[in-house]
Order: sequence, then structure tokens, then C-alpha cells
Amino acid sequence: MQARTLYSILLFGGLGFLCGCDRLPGKPKEEDRWKPPSEIKDFALLFNTNCRGCHSNGQTLSASISMNNPPYLAVVPKEVMHKTIETGIPGTQMPTYSDKAGGSLTEEQVNILVEGIYNWAKGHEAPTDNLPPYSAALGDAERGKAVFAQACASCHGSGGEGTKGKGGAVDKAYLSLVSDQYLRTVVIVGRPELGMPGFREYVPGKPMTGEEISDVVSWLASRREGPAPGQSAKTAEIAPKTQPSTPNE
Amino acid sequence: MSAKDRPITSSLVNIAMWVERRLHLVKIWKATAGHPIPKSSASWFYTFGSMTLLCFTIQILTGILLALVYVPSANEAYRSLLFLNYQQELGWFLRAMHYWGSNCMVVIVFFHMTQVFLWGAYKHPRELTWISGVVLLFLTLALSFTGQVMRFDSDAYWGIGIGAAISGRIPIIGAQVVNLLLGGPIIGSDTLSRFFALHVFVLPGAVIALVSLHLRLVLLKGINEYPTPGIQVHKGTYWRNYEEMLHKDGMPFVPNGIGKDLVANGVLLLVMVALAVFVGPKGPEIPADPAQVISEAKPDYPFLWLLSAAALLPNGSEVILFFVVPLIAVILLIGLPFFSNVGEKHYSRRPVSILVVMLTYLTIGLLTYAGITGPWSPRMEAWSGTPTKPQFITGRSPVELQGALLLQGKQCRNCHSVGGEGGQRGPDLSAVGARMNQPQLIRQVIQGGGNMPAYGNTLTPQEVNALVSYLVSLRPINTIPALNPAIPEKAERVSSGEPTKGAKTGG
Ligand code: HEC
Ligand code: HEC
Ligand code: HEC
Repeated sequence: MQARTLYSILLFGGLGFLCGCDRLPGKPKEEDRWKPPSEIKDFALLFNTNCRGCHSNGQTLSASISMNNPPYLAVVPKEVMHKTIETGIPGTQMPTYSDKAGGSLTEEQVNILVEGIYNWAKGHEAPTDNLPPYSAALGDAERGKAVFAQACASCHGSGGEGTKGKGGAVDKAYLSLVSDQYLRTVVIVGRPELGMPGFREYVPGKPMTGEEISDVVSWLASRREGPAPGQSAKTAEIAPKTQPSTPNE
Repeated sequence: MSAKDRPITSSLVNIAMWVERRLHLVKIWKATAGHPIPKSSASWFYTFGSMTLLCFTIQILTGILLALVYVPSANEAYRSLLFLNYQQELGWFLRAMHYWGSNCMVVIVFFHMTQVFLWGAYKHPRELTWISGVVLLFLTLALSFTGQVMRFDSDAYWGIGIGAAISGRIPIIGAQVVNLLLGGPIIGSDTLSRFFALHVFVLPGAVIALVSLHLRLVLLKGINEYPTPGIQVHKGTYWRNYEEMLHKDGMPFVPNGIGKDLVANGVLLLVMVALAVFVGPKGPEIPADPAQVISEAKPDYPFLWLLSAAALLPNGSEVILFFVVPLIAVILLIGLPFFSNVGEKHYSRRPVSILVVMLTYLTIGLLTYAGITGPWSPRMEAWSGTPTKPQFITGRSPVELQGALLLQGKQCRNCHSVGGEGGQRGPDLSAVGARMNQPQLIRQVIQGGGNMPAYGNTLTPQEVNALVSYLVSLRPINTIPALNPAIPEKAERVSSGEPTKGAKTGG
């Protein structure tokens, strides 16, 4: 009895080690090792801890646009992405990340993020013909209304109030929380993962032009009450809304 | 085959006899390992004592090996653990054995005590055996406590902080004791040196001394016989009966009585090795840095119940938890053999003892469980890193999507999970729209309540609007939003209070 116990201890213990100490599950792994946040150089880790809550990495859905998104990456210039991450977008939930401005990421880490995000599009590049410019001044709201009726109303309702199953795109609280650039981005690349196509597909066979996009964004922006996020003093946003809202039709 | 035929054997025997005549080893053996025990005591339930000793032996051995590498200074301690984990061949295994050995030791000391309590072994004439055991329990806890400080990472801080808090409450000399423990007013290199001295010299020394006393008492006063219900302990007759029993029905501990101990210890050793191999060592986590308060630090298993008790009890009750409760526990434990010195031993005749054990295990068990799954601290990175499951994104309107973003950006998810992911400090919000209606949600967000901060000043009316419309959308498919107030009392306050204007604006 005693001898057997002893043997089995030796046997199991010995076996455990023979299995190769490198593969034992209890052995601490290099990636579990704590590193100061500024030393994290791994793109996936950086993205998953800093961005994934709001921007999908392609594996989940997210409330804001996905970053693993070749059509988006085809249109957004690298410098803009870099700057957006560093400074954030004032007045919206997009935070400031540059450590020089009180954020948590170093310049190098922002570079790793930008490179990593663009790498997602490698080999899946979206077509670049007829590509509208990423950013542009607002267009003509009246014309934009017509564009909306043609391109967007089927899903968002003729006045943008929303249809069954699709949300209103001119909800005033919504518009006061998003920047004009974001509206433009969404019109260009859509939210394919949620069922909104991009600029090529609103009207079959006829990609939306840069001008039309400016116009429709301009119309959306004109439906906003008060300033766009980050545009002017916060008091204007918080002040009770007394003026009648802009007439609908 | 006699010694005369073999010159070598015979001279070996001569040497052995020479040593024996001087050391009287046979006599010592007979008095210790060979001492007679009642046959009934060779029970599986009686193996916890030797298992505790095995744990302690392993702790000593692994501890010595660890001390070869460990540098007890604030700057080097952390690095030496990293060296053990990642460079030193099998260094991680050594750390893991020491860590799990310590956890096992605490658990098994506890089992041992429970068994001694339930089987009435603490009664006359073994009072002092019990008391030395109680002291050993506290020494074991102290070793485990000072041991986690050796890691000198963020978790270690929890231990030092609590240690300082407890000793700071000691009347009159509190401040001096804190000073003595920390080696100054703040936690630093001196603190580590002091805990190191406690952990490797003072406490193990004390344990060795008390184990010797404990074992000596076991030999002198005998192993408890396996109690029989109905048989009473009388001070006058107990010892005579016990000796008679040994005489009639006794056997030497070694070799006859040790079998089950060996098997139990073998199994324990396997369990410890398995834990070490499969789970591995703990930490080191984030390095200790006085400038950084890490709210996610957790103590080791033996003290998790303290952490959750501290978090569950209302503010200000720490004095009771850390001072009054331990004091009462010490008095009760040490006083036990005097409160119930004679009478029935068997637990079946002592229902109160069963109740006490069950209550203790339930309390510590539940508190430990709460500590393991413990939502006591917010998850600081949840807001930017925790994704939202698809079912909480699809079908949402643009303004509801903005609400989802606000739930991230305003760091609500550090405390609240959605779909089980996120902090656990507040309730899960996956179905909050089914249990709270819009005015209630607005009120909760603006005014906070319970442990939730008020957001009235940090959110614009549009943000409240978006946030609340998202929360309303958080409900099982095909259910309507909560219409009737789920909690009448809350609803009343909402209707009497002033609903925010902004929250009503928009589509
Ligand atoms: C708390 C949520 C949140 C987190 C975390 C977050 N973002 Fe954003 N991000 C937003 C929102 C909301 C917008 C749109 C803001 C607007 O313009 O209205 C945005 C916009 C952007 C844009 C510009 C989109 C456009 O219009 O072209 C980029 C690029 C971006 N984020 C990248 C990142 C990266 C990279 C990270 C991680 C380092 C990150 N974001 C983390 C919420 C977040
Ligand atoms: C095929 C249907 C469809 C068409 C056409 C469509 N959308 Fe959308 N749109 C959606 C869906 C689906 C969403 C996701 C939110 C929802 O379900 O309401 C959405 C979301 C949006 C959002 C919010 C996106 C965000 O991330 O905050 C805006 C703004 C928007 N659409 C504007 C437009 C505009 C402008 C047009 C016309 C150029 C348009 N949409 C055309 C289906 C459509
Ligand atoms: C510090 C942690 C913390 C943060 C941050 C926090 N909450 Fe809470 N929340 C709680 C706690 C704790 C409760 C339970 C309150 C109580 O006991 O009444 C709660 C309750 C709630 C409830 C009621 C849930 C129910 O089922 O009763 C809602 C809704 C809610 N929080 C929304 C939010 C939103 C929205 C945010 C972000 C703007 C937020 N919380 C931020 C801790 C937090």
C-alpha cells in the first residue's frame, strides 16, 4: 500500500515534468506578464483594450462604425485617422488618446494602431473608382432633401423619421451627438453590418457623387437643433429649447 | 547469514549499535513514531493533522529554495519574481508549489480543526493540544498573509493596507504598531523588509516551536479515540479508561496506524502538484506603486472572505470586522475546551457543534465565493475595451446607437455589464428596459442612487435622451417596454420630481 502510493507520486510527478515544462498549463506565459500600458506594442491588444468597446474589430458589432472596414479604410486618409485618434472628436464620445493631451497612448502606440487598422484592408481592398473625398464643406440642404428622398427614404422614411425596423436618421438628439464628418463618413461607407449600404448602392447603378453626399449631409445637419457637437459653447446645448423646431416639410 | 559469517555486515552492525548505545534511537522511536494508538483512531478523518504537517514541510522546503533567489527590497522583489517566472528553470513551479502549498495548508488546518471540534478531541485532557492548535491556526494565517506581501505587487498592497488598518485600531499604541509594521508612516522598502523578517524568520520559527509542543502533547495525552455516541468524558476516569484501551486494543502508530495517513498525504501531494502544474503561480500583478491606487487588487484565497465582508458591511463597520470579530473569535476558540470540557464527544450527540460548523462553513464559503466572483471594484478598462454582443446592437435606431456609445464613453460599463460582459458593481442592464420605464431610467441616470454616482451634471439633455432610449431598448425581443412602474416607490418620486426637459426633446 505505502509503496504503491510512493510509486504513483513519483510516476505522476515524473510524467508531469517529462511532458515538457514548456507546455505545462501553469507555466506563466510571456503574454500574461504585466507590462506598463505604455509598453504594449501589440496591435490586437491595443485595439481590444482601447477601441473595441465602440468600434468593431470585424468580429463583433459595435455602436460606432467598424474599423475592420475596407471601404472605410479606402476613403479615410491615414493622417486623418492618426489625428482623430490623437485628439479625439470634441463633443462626441470619441476620446482623446495622445498622452501629450492627457490621453493614455504614446505616439508610437497610435502609429501601431493606425498601421494595424490599415493592415486589415490588405488583400481586401475596396474599389477606389468614383470615390468621393473623405471630407468636404457642407453642400446645399435643399438639394440634399431631394437626395435623401431618392436615396435614403426607402429605409429612413421620407422625412427621415424612420420606418418600421429602421431608425430615424433625423432624430434631433441623435444629430446633436454626431459630427458632420461622421454623418458624411456614414453616408459614404454605410453601416453594412447593420444593413445600410454605402454610397455605391443607394441608387442601383449610380454611385452617389461627392456633391450629393455634401448636400444630403448638409440637409441632415440643418435638421439639427443647436450646434454640432464640439462646435460652440455647451450652454447653447443645455439651454432649454424654446424656439419651435424647424418646420418639417 | 548471521553477523559472524559476514565481516562487513558485522562491523556495520557494530557501528550501528555503537551509535544506538549513545543516542538510544530505538527508545526515541518507540516513544514517538512507534507510540501506541487506539485501533479506532486509524481513521480517514484523523489524517488532517499529518497532512497539515506535510504542507508545512513543503512550505519550508520551497521557501528555502525561493529565498535563494528572492531579494526583499522594494526595487528587486518584483524583478526576482519575474526572474523565477520566466528565466529560472522551473522557477515558476517552485512559486506555484509555495503558493498552492500555502492555500492548501490554510484549508487543511481548517479541516483539521473542524474534525477535532466535531469529534470532541479538544475535551479533557487535551485542552492544551487544542489551544496550541488554535495558535498554530493564527500563525498559519499570519504566514499566508505576510506571504502575499512578499509578491509586493498591487495585491500585496491590499494585505499591507488591511494589516495597517487593523493594527491602527489597537487602542493607545495603534500608531506605534503601524509604524513598527510599516517601518515608517508609509508603505515602502522598510515595510517589505519587516514583512520579510516576519515571514521567513519569526513566524516559521514560532510555528516550529508550537508544532513541537503540539506533537509533544499529542504523544503525552494520546491520540483521541474514535468517539462512540453515549460515552461520556469524566475527568476522574477518562485517562484510566484510555490507558486501558491502549493496553487492550492499541497498536503502534508506525507501522500499523500510519497507512491511511500515507495515502492521504500522497493524494494531497498529488493535488498540490496538479494545482501547481495546471494553475500555476499567482502573479506578480501590477507592481506596487504608492502613487497609483489600483482598485482591482484582490487578496489571496484565505482572505477573500475578509475582502467581501469589508465590501458588504456598511461603511464604518471596519472596526467591528477587523477588531471586534477577531477578538471574539480568539476568545471563543481558546475558551472552547473550558466551556465544554467533559461529557459527550461524538458530534451526533452535540447538535450545536454541527450547527456551528455549518454556519461557519456557509459564511466563509459564501463570502469567499462572493470574493472570487467579486464585483467589489469597477473594471477600469471595460468602457473602451468591452464589446457589446450583437443582439444589443442590431435593430437599434441611430439615436439608440448613440446611447450605446454613451454607455461606453460615460464609463457606465465599468460598473454595469450588458449581456454579462462588463463590470459587476451595478446590476446587469441586459433587460433593464423591461423592468424600468423611461421616467425611472431618467431619474436613475440623473440622480444616481445606491452606489451609483449621479450623472445629472455631466450629461446634456440630448445625451440623457439617447442613453435612456438605448436603455429602454434593452429588453428581450418582442416584449414591450416597462410601462407600469416596477417599483412603485421609485415611480412616485419620479412623477413628483421634475422630469428633465431635454430628455423629452427629439424624436
Ligand atoms: C467610447 C467610445 C469610443 C472609443 C473607445 C473609441 N472611439 Fe473612435 N469614435 C467614437 C465615436 C462616437 C466616433 C464618431 C464621433 C463623431 O464624429 O461623431 C468615433 C470616430 C472615430 C474615427 C473617425 C470616424 C470617421 O468619421 O471617419 C476614427 C478613425 C476612430 N474613431 C478611431 C478610433 C480608434 C482607433 C479607437 C481606439 C484607440 C477609438 N476610435 C476608440 C467612439 C469611440
Ligand atoms: C437599405 C436601407 C438603408 C438605406 C438605403 C439607408 N440607410 Fe441609413 N441606416 C440603415 C440602417 C439599417 C442603419 C442602422 C441603424 C438602424 O437600424 O436604424 C442606418 C443608420 C444610419 C445612420 C446612423 C449611423 C450611425 O452609425 O450612427 C445614419 C446617419 C443614416 N443611416 C443615414 C442615411 C442616409 C443619409 C442615407 C441615404 C444616403 C441612408 N442612411 C440610407 C439603413 C439604410
Ligand atoms: C460606480 C459604478 C456605477 C457607474 C459608473 C454607473 N452605475 Fe448605474 N448603478 C450602479 C449601482 C451600484 C446601481 C444599483 C443602485 C441601487 O442600488 O439602487 C446602479 C443602477 C443603475 C440602474 C438601475 C438598474 C436596475 O435594474 O435597478 C440603471 C438603469 C443604471 N444604473 C444606469 C447607469 C448608466 C446609464 C450609467 C452611466 C451613465 C451608470 N449606471 C453608471 C453603479 C454604477
